[in-house]
Amino acid sequence: MSNIGWKDVLSDDMPVELAHEIDIFEGQMELMGQGKLDEKVFAETRLRRGVYGQRYDNGQRHDGFESRELAFEELERFKGPDTLWHAPGMQRIKVPSGGLTPKQLDVLAQVADEYSDGILHITTRQDIQLHFVHIEDTPDMMRRLASVGITTREACGNSVRNVTCCHLAGVCRTEAFDATPYSNAFADFLLGHDDVQDFGRKFKPAFSGCESEACGLVMMHDLGYLAQIQEVDGKPKRGFKVFVGGGLGTVPHQAKVLSEFTPEEEILPQAQAVSRVFARLGEKRNRNRARIKFLVAKVGIEEFRRLVEEERKTLPHDDRWTAYLDTLPHYEEKPTRPPTFLNGQVGSSEFNQWFETNVYSQRQDGYSVVTVNLPLGDLTSKQTWELADVARKYVGDNVRSTVEQNIVLRWVSDSDLPNLYEELKAIGLGDAGAGTIVDITACPGTDTCKLGIASSRGLAGELRTRLTVKSASLPDAIKDLKIKISGCFNSCGQHHVSDIGFFGNSRRSGNFKMPHFQVVLGGMWRENAGSYGLAVGAVPSKTVPEVVDVITNRYVEERSKGETFQEWIGRIGKKEARSMIQPFMKLPDFEQQPEFFSDWGDPRVFSLGDIGIGECAGEVVSLFSMEISPAESEAFEAQVALDENDPARADAMAYSSMVKAARALVRTQFLDVGDSPDRIVEEFKSRFFDTELFFDQYAKGKFGQYLLDRHNNPNPNPDNDSAHRLIEEALLFIEATHVCESKVGGNVLIEI
Amino acid sequence: MIAPQRLCVKFYFEELSVDVDTFIPVFHRWIREDVVSNEMLLDVADYKHILDGPAIFLIGHEADYVVDFTDGKPGLLYVRKRDAGPSLSDALGTTLTQALNGVKLAENDVELAGKLKLRTDGATIVLLDRLSYPNASSNGDGVSSAADAAQAQLAENLTALFGSDATLTRVANDEREPLTFELNAPSAPNVDTLLSQLESVN
Ligand code: HEM
Ligand code: SF4
Repeated sequence: MSNIGWKDVLSDDMPVELAHEIDIFEGQMELMGQGKLDEKVFAETRLRRGVYGQRYDNGQRHDGFESRELAFEELERFKGPDTLWHAPGMQRIKVPSGGLTPKQLDVLAQVADEYSDGILHITTRQDIQLHFVHIEDTPDMMRRLASVGITTREACGNSVRNVTCCHLAGVCRTEAFDATPYSNAFADFLLGHDDVQDFGRKFKPAFSGCESEACGLVMMHDLGYLAQIQEVDGKPKRGFKVFVGGGLGTVPHQAKVLSEFTPEEEILPQAQAVSRVFARLGEKRNRNRARIKFLVAKVGIEEFRRLVEEERKTLPHDDRWTAYLDTLPHYEEKPTRPPTFLNGQVGSSEFNQWFETNVYSQRQDGYSVVTVNLPLGDLTSKQTWELADVARKYVGDNVRSTVEQNIVLRWVSDSDLPNLYEELKAIGLGDAGAGTIVDITACPGTDTCKLGIASSRGLAGELRTRLTVKSASLPDAIKDLKIKISGCFNSCGQHHVSDIGFFGNSRRSGNFKMPHFQVVLGGMWRENAGSYGLAVGAVPSKTVPEVVDVITNRYVEERSKGETFQEWIGRIGKKEARSMIQPFMKLPDFEQQPEFFSDWGDPRVFSLGDIGIGECAGEVVSLFSMEISPAESEAFEAQVALDENDPARADAMAYSSMVKAARALVRTQFLDVGDSPDRIVEEFKSRFFDTELFFDQYAKGKFGQYLLDRHNNPNPNPDNDSAHRLIEEALLFIEATHVCESKVGGNVLIEI
Repeated sequence: MIAPQRLCVKFYFEELSVDVDTFIPVFHRWIREDVVSNEMLLDVADYKHILDGPAIFLIGHEADYVVDFTDGKPGLLYVRKRDAGPSLSDALGTTLTQALNGVKLAENDVELAGKLKLRTDGATIVLLDRLSYPNASSNGDGVSSAADAAQAQLAENLTALFGSDATLTRVANDEREPLTFELNAPSAPNVDTLLSQLESVN
C-alpha cells in the first residue's frame, strides 16, 4: 500500500497537462536537492507554482530578547536565496474570478488539514492561502487540487497573477453584463502563455461589470476591464473599457485608459500585445520600478497605446482569441432551487441583523447573494466541508471568494434565507456585519509574511472584537465605513482604498522600537477603487482602537447631511486630519508603558529583526533559465523511467527534454516558435546548427546532431541500452544549450 | 501498518479558568525556553477569532500544540506532523508521549498552574492520511479495510496503556473527514503513570 501515491491514485482524475507540469516541478525539486539547479532559478520556479516563502525561513527568529537560530535539519539545503529547504512556507492557490465549487472546497479542506495548519485563508485577490506547508508536500497537494481542476501555476512570481472579477458578476443590479466568462477566458488564455514568461515583475488583471461600484477594483490593477455596451452599426455590441498601469504599493497609481472600448473579440489579442510590450520594455534590473505602472508612466500613455497597437499588428493569429465567444450564449449559472420570496416572514432579530448586512438581492427576482463573513478571511478545514454541504443544498456550484476576504453563496432562493442562516450559524459562519466596519481586511503581516513590520492581523482581530461589541449602537454613518490594514507599505491589505486604512511601520523611543501604524484616511472603495487615501501620520499600534474612535466620533459629529467620509476628510484637509491623531503621536518610554513595545497578539518585545527578503517580486532570471529548467527535469525523469525499466518512456522523455532545451534556445531569438517539435527543430537547425553557433570547439556539431538524429529517426522499439544512450545524449545536448546561450548571450542573466 | 502522514491526539480540559489569550505569552515562552527538548518549536499562531475551532497554535517543526474548541469540547490537541516512527504503533507511542508531555507542561506552567487540568479518561485520536487510511466505511464482506485494521491495532496498544476496560469507537462518518476514534478509558491512570508506561514500552 505504501508504494502507491496520490500520483497513481489520481492519475485518471488530473488533466494530463497539469499532471505533467507537477511531475516536472517534482523533478526540479529533486534536482535542487542534488544541488543541480541554481537557487534563484529554483526560487522563481517554485514561486510560479505558488510555493512561497514564509517568515523565519532564513532560519532566524527573534524571541523578544534575542535573535535565535532555528535548528532545522539540513541547514545547508536551500529552496532559494537565504531560504531554508525545511522551513515551512505558504502555498497560494489561484481561484480565477473567485469561482469555487463544493467539490473543490472539499478537496481544499482536505489538503489544508493534511499539509498546513488546517486553516484556509482567503486573500485580497480572491485566492486561497495555506500556511506552514513543507515544500516536500507540495507536489501531492497540487495533484489533489489538480484532480478538481485547480492549478497553483503562476500564483506568485513574475507572472500573470490571479484574474479577479466582481463576486456579484452575473447577478448584479448595476452591471452592463456578466464579466465572468471573459475573465475566465482571459485567465485560461494567459495561463502559462509564452508571452507572459519574461516579465520583470508580477502582473495583476481584474474584470468589473460596472463603473460605479467597487467589486472589480480595476483602477488599482495592472490591467483592468470595465464591461461596456456600445452601439455599433445600430446594434448593441459588448466590449470593455480597458485600463492599464494601476497598482497599490508604496507609490499607488491610478490606472490610465488604454482604450475607451475594446470589442469583445479583441480583448485577448490586445492583452497579449500588452504582455509583449511589457516583457520587452518593462524594467528588469530595478525591481522597485518594474511594475507596468512605471513603464506606462515613463513612456506616457499615448506612446504606450501606440506600442500596443503596433505589437497587435505583428501577432500571429490564434484561434483562441475568439473561440470562447462561441460558448458565451450557453454560459449560464444554474440555481439549484426555484425562485421564492420571503413574503414578509418575520425572522429573529439576529436573523434580521444578518439579513441587513449579509444579503444582497439579485437582479433575478426571488434570489439573493449571501455573504459568509469570515473573520480575517479564515475558515477551518471542517468549516470548509460543512460550508460545501450548505452550498450543495442551497446553491450548488455558485460559490465565490471575494476581495474582502469573504465567501459568497449566489442564487439562494429567498425563502431559504432563514434556514440557511441557521445552518451557517451552526458551523460558526453566521457572523453579521459583512461589508461593514467590523468586516476588516488584513494582509498576513507579521504572522507569516517575511516583510511584515507590524501585526496587521493582530490589529484587525482586536478592532473586530471591540467594534462587534458595540456595533448595535454604532451610528449608520460609521457602520458602513471600511477599515483595511497592511503590515507594511507594500499594501497587500489594500489600505489605500478604504475609508480608514493602516499600514505598519516602526518608530524609536529611547533604545526600543515601537510598532506603529500609519493612518491613511479617505480612500475610495467604490468606483472601482476610485481614489487613494491620505497618509496623515503614524501612531503606536496599541493606540489604534482609540484613534479609530476619535476619528469616527468626530466624523459623526461634524458631517453635514449625506456627506461621505471621503468628502469630510477632503473638507477638513490633511492638517486638520493630522491634528486629530496628534495626541497619540507622543511616545511613552519603555518603563512607563511597556505594553506599547509589543504588538497586538504578540507579547514579544517588538523588533524588526525578523524581516527577511520578501518574494513579492520573484527572482529576475532570464527566460532561458526558466525554460531550460523543465528540460533538465525531464531528462531526470527519463533516468527515473529507465531505472523503472520503462525504456519507451525513458526514450520519449529524453527526446522531449532535448526539444524543450532547443525551444528555450530558439526563443532567445524567436519568441513565436510555438510548440510543434518539427518547427522547433527546424528553427534550431537553421539558427544555431547550420550557423555553427551551437558547435563545440572540439566536438563540433556532434551534440546538435543528437537532436537532429533522434528527431528524424525515432527508434520504434527502444530498449534499455538505446534509451540509456539517448539520455546521455540528451544530457550532453542540454549542457551544450547552456554553453551556446551564454556564448550568444541571448538574454543575459540579470543580477538583482 | 505504516505510520500515517499525521497523527493527532486531543486530551480534554477538565478545568480551564484562564482566558484563551493567556496561552499566547505562555507558548512564546515555551519557544524561548525550549521546553520540549526533542522538538523544534517555531511560532505562535492566533486563530481565536474562529468560532468553535482551533484557537491558539504553538507551531513546531515536528508537531503543533493547539488549544482547540472544536465541537464545543475544549482540549489540548497535539498534531504530530513528521518523524513519528515508521509504523502506526511507533507513531502512536511518539504522539501519546509528546502529547502527554504537553499536558504536563501546561498543567505545571508557572502562569497556568492551578488554572487548568486535563483528563486522561478520554481522548480523540485522528489519523490524518486519506491516502493510506481513508475514512471509508467497512466494506462488510469480511475483508477488513485499512480503517478496521488501524482500529484493531490502536485498540490493542491503547488498552495496554489505558486499562483493559478502555474502548475505542470510530466516529466521524463522513469520507472527507480523517479517520477518527474516540477513546473512552474509565480507569485510565494519570499522566505520570501513562508516561512511565510509555517509556517502558519504548
Ligand atoms: C515587495 C514585496 C511585495 C509587494 C510590493 C506586494 C504588493 C502587493 C499588493 C499591492 C497587493 C494587493 C493589491 C492588489 O490586488 O494588487 C498584494 C497582494 C497580496 N500580497 Fe503582497 N506584496 C509583496 C510581498 C508580499 C509578501 C512577502 C507576502 C506574504 C507572504 C504578500 C502577501 C500578499 C497577499 C496575501 C496578497 C493578497 C493576494 C493575492 O495575490 O492573492 N505580499 N501584494
Ligand atoms: S503589506 Fe507588507 S506585511 Fe502585509 S503581506 Fe504585504 S508585504 Fe507582507
